[in-house]
Amino acid sequence: MSTQTTKANQTSPKLQSKVPEGPIDKKWSTHKNNIKLVNPNNKRKYKIIVVGTGLAGASAAASLAELGYNVETFTILDSPRRAHSIAAQGGINAAKNYKNDGDSVYRLFYDTVKGGDYRSREANVYRLAEVSNAIIDQCVAQGVPFAREYGGLLDNRSFGGAQLSRTFYARGQTGQQLLLGAYSAMMKSVDSGAIKMHNRHEMLELVVVDGKARGIITRDLVTGAIERHAADAVLLCTGGYGNVFYLSTNAKNCNVTAAWRCYKKGAMFGNPSFTQIHPTCIPVSGDYQSKLTLMSESLRNDGRVWVPRKPGDKRHANQIPDEERYYFLEERYPSFGNLVPRDVASRNAKDVCDKGHGVGPSGLAVYLDFRDSIKRYGRDKISERYGNLFDMYQKITGDNPYEEPMRIFPAVHYTMGGLWVDYNLQTTIPGLYALGEANFSDHGANRLGASALMQGLADGYFVIPYTVGDYLSGEKSGEVDTNHEAFAQAEQEAVERIDKLLKSKGTKTVLDYHRALGKIMWDEVGMSRTEQGLKDAIAKIRAMREEFWNNVYVPGEKSTCNKYLEYANRVSDFLELGELMARDALDRNESCGGHFREEYQTPEGEAQRDDENYCHVSVWEYPGDPDSDPVLHKEALEFEYVKLTQRSYK
Amino acid sequence: MTINLRVWRQKNASTPGKLVDYKVEGVSEHMSFLEMFDHLNEQLMKKGDEPVEFDHDCREGICGSCNMVIDGQAHGPQKGTAACQLHMRHYNDGDTIVVEPWRAAAFPLIRDLVVDRSAFDRIQAAGGYISVNTGAAPDAHAVPVEKEDADVAFDYAACIGCGACVAACPNASASLFTGAKISQFARLPQGQVERERRVVRMVEQMEKEGFGDCSNFGECEAVCPKEISIQAIAEMRREYMKAIT
Amino acid sequence: MYSLLTAFQNSVGRKILTGVTGIALTGFLIIHLLGNLTLFTIDYADADNAFNRYAHFLHDLGWLLYVAEAGLLTIFLIHAYLGVAIYLRKKKTRGTNYEVVKSRGGASKVGFSSRTMLISGSLLLIFTVSHVNHFKFGPGWSGEPEYTQQMNVGGETTEVRDLSKLVFETFNQQYEGAIFYVIGYVGIMILLGFHLRHGIWSALQSLGAMNKKLVPVIYAVAGTIGILIALGFLVLPIYIYFL
Repeated sequence: MSTQTTKANQTSPKLQSKVPEGPIDKKWSTHKNNIKLVNPNNKRKYKIIVVGTGLAGASAAASLAELGYNVETFTILDSPRRAHSIAAQGGINAAKNYKNDGDSVYRLFYDTVKGGDYRSREANVYRLAEVSNAIIDQCVAQGVPFAREYGGLLDNRSFGGAQLSRTFYARGQTGQQLLLGAYSAMMKSVDSGAIKMHNRHEMLELVVVDGKARGIITRDLVTGAIERHAADAVLLCTGGYGNVFYLSTNAKNCNVTAAWRCYKKGAMFGNPSFTQIHPTCIPVSGDYQSKLTLMSESLRNDGRVWVPRKPGDKRHANQIPDEERYYFLEERYPSFGNLVPRDVASRNAKDVCDKGHGVGPSGLAVYLDFRDSIKRYGRDKISERYGNLFDMYQKITGDNPYEEPMRIFPAVHYTMGGLWVDYNLQTTIPGLYALGEANFSDHGANRLGASALMQGLADGYFVIPYTVGDYLSGEKSGEVDTNHEAFAQAEQEAVERIDKLLKSKGTKTVLDYHRALGKIMWDEVGMSRTEQGLKDAIAKIRAMREEFWNNVYVPGEKSTCNKYLEYANRVSDFLELGELMARDALDRNESCGGHFREEYQTPEGEAQRDDENYCHVSVWEYPGDPDSDPVLHKEALEFEYVKLTQRSYK
Repeated sequence: MTINLRVWRQKNASTPGKLVDYKVEGVSEHMSFLEMFDHLNEQLMKKGDEPVEFDHDCREGICGSCNMVIDGQAHGPQKGTAACQLHMRHYNDGDTIVVEPWRAAAFPLIRDLVVDRSAFDRIQAAGGYISVNTGAAPDAHAVPVEKEDADVAFDYAACIGCGACVAACPNASASLFTGAKISQFARLPQGQVERERRVVRMVEQMEKEGFGDCSNFGECEAVCPKEISIQAIAEMRREYMKAIT
Repeated sequence: MYSLLTAFQNSVGRKILTGVTGIALTGFLIIHLLGNLTLFTIDYADADNAFNRYAHFLHDLGWLLYVAEAGLLTIFLIHAYLGVAIYLRKKKTRGTNYEVVKSRGGASKVGFSSRTMLISGSLLLIFTVSHVNHFKFGPGWSGEPEYTQQMNVGGETTEVRDLSKLVFETFNQQYEGAIFYVIGYVGIMILLGFHLRHGIWSALQSLGAMNKKLVPVIYAVAGTIGILIALGFLVLPIYIYFL
C-alpha cells in the first residue's frame, strides 16, 4: 500500500519529521517508551514559556506544571478564559464507539486523513485519533458538563465528513466548556504557584541564542512596558491567522504576530495557504461589518441546504414550493448529502451563488432550512439541540429561524497552515514548539468539524508533556538569562517597530488597510484561486505594505493602554503573511481540500489533486527581509495505511 | 441614523474621568453596538483625536470581554445579550445613549471603558477547579451523571465571566459569578471531594478582592448574558452552610 | 470542618446570618401578632381579660422570659448590625458611582422594598425602642395602682398589670394624641410590610432554600405573608381608635 516519494516531493534535509519507526498503531507508544526523561527533581529548574492560553496553551501549561516544570503563561487577553477556543460551538471528536456504530481509532484516523485530502502526516493523525479518547475522560473528570442521555451516559452526534456519531458536545458551547476545563486545570497550578500568569501581555519577539529558542520579548498592554523573559523552551499556542482576511469567524484580537515573528527568526511556515472556509456563517450585511459569526456545522445534521431552482427568484423562502427548491448538496452528493465536508459545502454554496441562485439582499447566501426537522421532531427537540444557535441567529439578523430558513454563507474560519513542526511538535528552531492551530497541523488541506478542539487538547494534554522532556533532558536549565545581548537586540527590534508605527501619522487608519488587505485575500486567495489572481494579489499586497508604513495613522502613545497600536502591529504582520499565503497557493499547482485552484478541477468541478507533484508539505523559510522571495522546502508525505484516492462524498 | 453618545473617558485610574459627548453619524440599524464604536473611533482618528478604548474580542457573546454599561444597564437593554450582540436596530435616530465602564472597586479602571477583571481569575484559582492531573482520569463512562444534574451544571458553567453581575449589582457583589462556579461542581459527582474546601476558599477570596455583599436584588440574573439563575447563589450558600457546620 | 466564626468575616456568612436572624424575628412577629389578636376580642372596660392574662402568663415565666428577651435582643442587634455593615460596605465596593442607573426588570428584584431595606430597617429599630419603652416600660411597669388589677390566676389572687388599658388609652379616639399614635403605627407597619416583602424571600434565598422553579412561588408567598403580618398589626390601632 505504500506510496513512493516522487522526485518532485523529495524531503528537504532541513526538515526532519522524526516520525518513529514501526507500525502506525505502535509508533506513539514506542516513541513514549524511548523518549528521554527529565528527573522529577530537576523539572522545577526548567522554565517553560507558554504563549497563548487557549485550549492548546492552557492544557499544555496545566499538564507541564503538574509534571513539575516552572511554567509562565502569556496572553494578550485579560484572562486565559477569553481565548477564542471559547467560541467553538459544535463539539469534539473521539473514537469512543459509545454508539456501537463501529467507530475505532483507525476510522477516526482514516476519516481525518481523507477529510484533509491526503495532505497531512499519517503518523501525527494516527496519534491524534489514538489520544482522542483520553481527552474525553480528562474533560469529564474536570467537571466539563457534556450533554448526557437519561441513563446518565454521554450523548454523541454526527458531524460533516463522517458517517458515524462520534462528536461529544455541550449544547452549542463545547469550546467554551472545554476551554473552561483547561482553564480551571491551569488555575489549579496558578493556585499552587506552579504557573505564573502574564495576562494582557503580547509576545513581540522570539529570542534565539545559538540557534535555540531562549525566551521572548513582550509588551505589557496596560503600561506599554517592554519586558524580557528567558526560558528553556517556548511553546507557541497562539492560534490561527484567519484574520488576515479581515472578515472571519475569528475573534477580533486573533493574530499571527507571535508566530510570524518566530517565522522571521527562522521557524519555517508550513502550508500557509491552507485555509478553511466554513460553510455555515451568517452572511455579511454591510461595509461596517467587523466580523462574521459562525453557525455551528452541527446545524447541518437537521437543517437542509437549498436555494431557489430558478436563478433570481426573489420570493420569500416560505413561498417557494418544494419542487422549486434546489437542495443542491443532497442532489449532488446523495450519500453524504448535507453532511459533506466543509470545503465541499462551501465551494458548492459559492457555485450556486455564482450561478445566480443566491438569496438575500446581496445574493450571497443560501438557505439552511429546519422546516422538515421541526415537523419531524417538534420544535422543542430542535430547540433543545440548537436553541442557543437559533437565539444567536435571531439576535444578529432579527429573523426567526423557527419560522423561516436561516441564510448562511461561507466564511473564513480556520487555518490549517502554521509553523511547521516535527512529530514532537518542535519547529525548525530547537526549543520552540507550536501547538494547536498555530502549527501546520494534522488536518492537511481541510479540517473536519469537531477536530480542532481534539487537536488543541491532544497537543497540550497528551503530546507536549512527553516530547518537551526529550529536548529539555539534553539542555542545561537556565542556560541564558535576560542580560544576554540577544535579548537586548530582540527588544530593540520590537521597540523600533512600535516607534515606526507611531511615527508615520499618516492619513489612513489601520482598519482601512486591514479591510483592503482582507478584500484582496478574499477575492484572490479565498475560496477559489487562479494563477493570475494570485500574482495580482502578491503585487497588490506588496504595494499596500509599502504604503502602510508611510501612511498609516496610529493614535496615542506607546506607554499606555493603546489598542490601535496593538492592532497596527498585528496588521503589519498580516501584510507580510498575506503575501506568503498567495505565494504558497501559487506554487501549489493542484487543488486539494480548502485550496482550490480553478485551473485544477475534475469535470464535475471537484478538487483535482496532483499527488505526483504535490504530495508534500510546502514549508517556507524566511529569506531575511520581507521583500525578498522566501525559500521553499518540502516534506514528502508518505501514505502507508490510507490509500490515496480521489475523495468522493457522492 | 445619528446617535448621540455620551461616553466615559478617563486616561487612567489616577486621572479623573468624565462623560464626553459625541455625535455618531451614519449608523446602520444592522450594526452591532461595538461596530458603532468602531465607526466612532474611525471618525475620531480621522480627525486626529484619540479613540475610545474598550475591551472586545469574539463579538459573538461568548468570550465575555465586552463590558459596557449602556444607559445604566450592564450590556444594555436586551435580555440575555452581551453588548457585542446588541444591535442598533433597537435604537432610533437621534437617541442619546450614555456608556460607562463596569464600576466596582474590585475592577479598577485601566482606561476609558477598559477595566481590570483579574479578581475573577483569583477567585477561580482559589478552588474553582477539580484536582485531577492529566492522564489520571477514569473512563468517561465510569460515573454516570443524572441528565438533570448535567443540564443544571451546564447552565451554571455557561458563565462567560464578563462581570456584568458585579457591574449591575447595587452592592457590586460577585456572588453570581462565584456561586455559578461552586454550584456547577457541587452538582457533579466529580466535584464532591473538594466541595467544602472549594466553597470556603472561593467565598473568602471573593471577600478579599473587595466585592460587596449580596442583598438578593437579583439584578445580576436580569443582566446576565447567559441568564444564569440566582439559584446558583442559593446553592453556594447551602454549600457554605454545609461546610462550616 | 470550618469554624462558624468565619461566617461573620465574609459576605456569604453575613448573609446567612442576616437570613437566620431575619427568620427568627419574623417568627417573633407572628407570635406577637397572634398575641395581639386577643385585643380584637376583649372588653376594654374589664381588666380581667384574655390579653392581660396572656401578658401576665409571659411575665410569670420568670427567668425563662429573661432568657427569651436576651435572645431576642441579641438576634435583633445582630440583624441590625449586619444590615448597617452591609450598607456601609456597599459604598466602598462600588468605588465610583454610575452617572445613570437603571434596573433591567425581568428577573430583577430591585424595587422599592429591596432598595429601602436599610431605611425601613432603621425606622423599625427606632420604632422598636420607643414601642418597648412605651408599652413594656410604660405605665404599670412599676406596679402603679391605676394600671394594676387583682385577679384569680390558677386559684390564687394575684396582682396583674392592666396592659389593655394602656393599649386602649394609646389608640382610642377619646384620648388626646391618639390619632398621631394610630397614624404613626400604621405608617410604621406599612414600612414593616415592605421590609418583610423583600426580607422573607431574601432570607429563604440566603439560607439556600431556593430553586429556580420555586423562586416565583416563594417570592409571591413571601410577599403575601409580609402583607398579612403588616396588615394584622396595622388594623389593630385603627380598630381600637374607633371603639
